[in-house]
Amino acid sequence: MSVETSPAGVIHDLGYRRYEGARLGRRQIVAALTGHSFRSAFGFGRGAKAKIVPAVVLAALCLPAAINAYIMSRGETRVVDYDTYIPVLRNLMMMVFVAVQAPELVSRDLRSRVLPLYFSRPIKAIDYPLAKFLGFTAACLVMLEVPLLLLYAGSIANVHGGAQVWAQTRALIAGLLVGLMWALVLAAVSLLLASLTGRRGFATGAVAIFFLLTYTLAEILLQVETNMAGGHPGPKGPPGTLSAAVPSLAEKVSGLFSPFTLFDGVRMWLGATDPGDNVPKVGTFGAVYALVLVALFAACLAGLAARYRKARLS
Amino acid sequence: MDHPTGTTGTGPPPVIATDALTKVYPGGVTALGGLTVTVAPGVTGLIGANGAGKSTLIKILLGLIEPTRGTAAVLGRDSVTEGERIRQLVGYMPEHDCLPPDVSATEFVTHMGRMSGIPKTAAKERAAEALRHVGLHEERYRQIGTYSTGMKQRVKLAQALAGDPRLLLLDEPTNGLDPAGRNAMLELIERVGAEFGIPIVVASHLLGEIERICDNIVAIEAGRLLRADSLDSFTTASQTLLIEVEEGTAQLLAELRRQGLAARPYQRALLVAVGAPATPAATPADAAAETADATFDAVRDCVAALGLPLSRVERRRHQVEEIFRDEDQEGQQGQQGDHAEAVNVR
Repeated sequence: MSVETSPAGVIHDLGYRRYEGARLGRRQIVAALTGHSFRSAFGFGRGAKAKIVPAVVLAALCLPAAINAYIMSRGETRVVDYDTYIPVLRNLMMMVFVAVQAPELVSRDLRSRVLPLYFSRPIKAIDYPLAKFLGFTAACLVMLEVPLLLLYAGSIANVHGGAQVWAQTRALIAGLLVGLMWALVLAAVSLLLASLTGRRGFATGAVAIFFLLTYTLAEILLQVETNMAGGHPGPKGPPGTLSAAVPSLAEKVSGLFSPFTLFDGVRMWLGATDPGDNVPKVGTFGAVYALVLVALFAACLAGLAARYRKARLS
Repeated sequence: MDHPTGTTGTGPPPVIATDALTKVYPGGVTALGGLTVTVAPGVTGLIGANGAGKSTLIKILLGLIEPTRGTAAVLGRDSVTEGERIRQLVGYMPEHDCLPPDVSATEFVTHMGRMSGIPKTAAKERAAEALRHVGLHEERYRQIGTYSTGMKQRVKLAQALAGDPRLLLLDEPTNGLDPAGRNAMLELIERVGAEFGIPIVVASHLLGEIERICDNIVAIEAGRLLRADSLDSFTTASQTLLIEVEEGTAQLLAELRRQGLAARPYQRALLVAVGAPATPAATPADAAAETADATFDAVRDCVAALGLPLSRVERRRHQVEEIFRDEDQEGQQGQQGDHAEAVNVR
């Protein structure tokens, strides 16, 4: 067998060449698939159109960090928080991102029926959803943490003294951890919903509707409860609504219905600052928020694993 | 024939060996019922009608499902305990569409090569080579969605080659192709088998189509082995010759019969059984070849003696189709009329 190593394009009939080098093991293949999924979450490997949404979302999310840097450069204090960032903007942008990109990772493969090709590779059926989840979580992390890092860069450039830098760093670390929580849960929920259908439009709709509906529901409940608590202070309020200081049961549970308010609830439970917006008054229910969030996360992962349990060839 | 590597012929384990392989699905459907078969290197046709158990067999061979009873080994490795290793060594081409439309063939085949465990740089090289081997050159940078069906089939084959397989499992590789596309695909498979030295199993429900590229045939029906043999022993005893003359068909028919040949009209042409029709199918291969030559000579002489304008002479095989009594097999080949003859040969 003649192995020719001349550059391609010169030789027209190079015989078949065997691959004699080392082969990647299962873990390395999963890592490669994770990387591939991460890239496809940003539209890499496909046309320019596929990159529009990720680029717009990232730009929109980075904008507050840039504005903050500008404001701080004029001597003001930091206007954007690390843990909440700009809540409405971030909620909306992340909804758009996962609704559009989660189907890119899983629905496309269902639609083009490429899964049998994965299952005929030296990996296990569970490895596929695992790699997709890891890759998409990483992509969500980029969307969530890059703006925070920019915010941090812009902030420490404008503060003086080790104590202030340390304060910024501590706040950043808390923010990064909140971002990690977001990324894990958003990726799991959106991938599960997207994996239910191979039609990308339906998948996007399903993810968007789930997040929008639950978010709207939770926000309305929070609004109603907050207004009622604010409007009827003291013992004269409706049953269960005692006072604004001690949140009612309704107030405490109303944030349990949406991932975004769950994030806020867990954040509050962990002792974060209340930006004063529509944030659940978790009161004694903090641990419940954490439990519900963990349960939601686990259920989505289990659902995702079950979705791909059978290695089907057709 | 130049084999790139000397792995064949040095007494390696059979490409595929199953022993009393049985798969009963929950609900009691028996997909495979005690299948025992050995597949040697070369190109092997796995023939069976839809529902004969081909897909189940492929899944077991790839280690994706476990057999209810019995064992299967691929390249000497047990399908239950060494599934991952088998999937590393086997290139699989599914029957249906499996290509994303919005990536280029290069990107896709590279990715699939990596999924087979080839490192990044090598996967890129192998993808380019595999695509070149299947006949895709500049178009490999285009999105797959713009390809013709024939090109897509080639990409499917290329992705199976990207992982440098020691066995190729091709499931209905000519699906959806027009006659020219089928021929091109079959030639390509033949080349891969012969020049690349990769054993190939081609699953198909159209025996008439793939028989010309197969060295061996394994026929299964209802989850059981119908027959496994070399192609020669399948077909030699039962060849027919299709002869078409522009005029004087009736004359030729009479002359052929006078020469003692089993000839009969078939559409606008004539069919002549090669060899003596009364000979049992168990005729040894060389004896059959001799009588075949005698038949060809006789036909030539008849046509020449009558001075008829000969427009077509074609060798046809029927026995192999006969092993199925499935309606669509007959419909596909348009040879319902040959049934009687084949039965006669038996």
